[in-house]
Amino acid sequence: MKILIAEDDSTSRTMLQAVLTKWGYDVTATENGDDAFAVLQQEDSPQLAIFDWEMPGMDGASLCRTIRGQGRKEPLYLILLTSRGNHKDIVQGLEAGADDYIAKPYNNAELQARVNAGRRMVLLQNEMREREKLQGVLEMAGAVCHELNQPLQSVSGFSELLLMDLAASDKNYETLKAIKSGIGRIGELTRKIMKITRYQSRLYLKSKIVDIEKASQDNAEGGL
Amino acid sequence: MSEKRILVVDDEQEIRDMYSQAFSRAGYTVRSAESAEEALEIFKQEQYWVLFLDLNLPGMDGVELCRQIRKDWPMAIPYAVTGYASLFELSDCRDAGFEDYFTKPASLSDLLDAAEHAFKKLARWKKR
Repeated sequence: MKILIAEDDSTSRTMLQAVLTKWGYDVTATENGDDAFAVLQQEDSPQLAIFDWEMPGMDGASLCRTIRGQGRKEPLYLILLTSRGNHKDIVQGLEAGADDYIAKPYNNAELQARVNAGRRMVLLQNEMREREKLQGVLEMAGAVCHELNQPLQSVSGFSELLLMDLAASDKNYETLKAIKSGIGRIGELTRKIMKITRYQSRLYLKSKIVDIEKASQDNAEGGL
Repeated sequence: MSEKRILVVDDEQEIRDMYSQAFSRAGYTVRSAESAEEALEIFKQEQYWVLFLDLNLPGMDGVELCRQIRKDWPMAIPYAVTGYASLFELSDCRDAGFEDYFTKPASLSDLLDAAEHAFKKLARWKKR
């Protein structure tokens, strides 16, 4: 999992980066709040972040507040790192939008446990979001299939009947075959929509649409 | 069984008309109903051995209709034709006694094959 760190002290930053990498995290290290904020504006940015409270420019607490103020859709778990240890500071940090708080000097085992707790939270939130999206997609898929397949059945059947009565030499034969083939394609599409089992999107112009092909592929195995 | 009779049940007029044309053209005698209740009324007057039932019907659904028909007329061969299929529905259909299951848009050749298969089966049972 990706993790973002913002720490102005180069020694602390290097140490933090080293342990997190050792624990299997994909670390993006920044040395101030503004750079960290910029990283979080990118596509597919880290969902887990550790900010040092005291930094020149935008400090850790302000950074938390600014990020929370953006109303992000993606889950983001924020941990503040600081030598300030009194209750008032802790409250202030959490109120600013941090999810957790680690006092310096920190113990590596505690840091690892807290980061892992954050990771669990992010995974859980991601899973819930996927489930909600899938639920919406499935409800829509059901409605689309039902509403579309009803008229498709009569159109498809009637065009098949017309074709049966038409000689291949008739001038309308090929036109009717083309209509029948178009109906067949829509039918295939609704069959795929019925097989959607997971949420999968793809880019369409500048927005995302459901990737029907991929979202319906998981059914190949698993029997009936 | 001189007359090969088929009953189709679907709540949409266009679909009933299309089935009627298709099966009549293939030599079957077709009657249609727009609800499960109407189908059961028809069954009280005359029996149909081969049936094509939509699953999503107003009032009683196609699965329940199939179950009732199979209970009173165990030799009837009902087929399900539905707009939205899930795997759960498929197992329900088998459980209710459907011979087979088609999703809309079902091709006429598949439905005609199914009818032919059903009548062959009935003829074999009769000769027994």
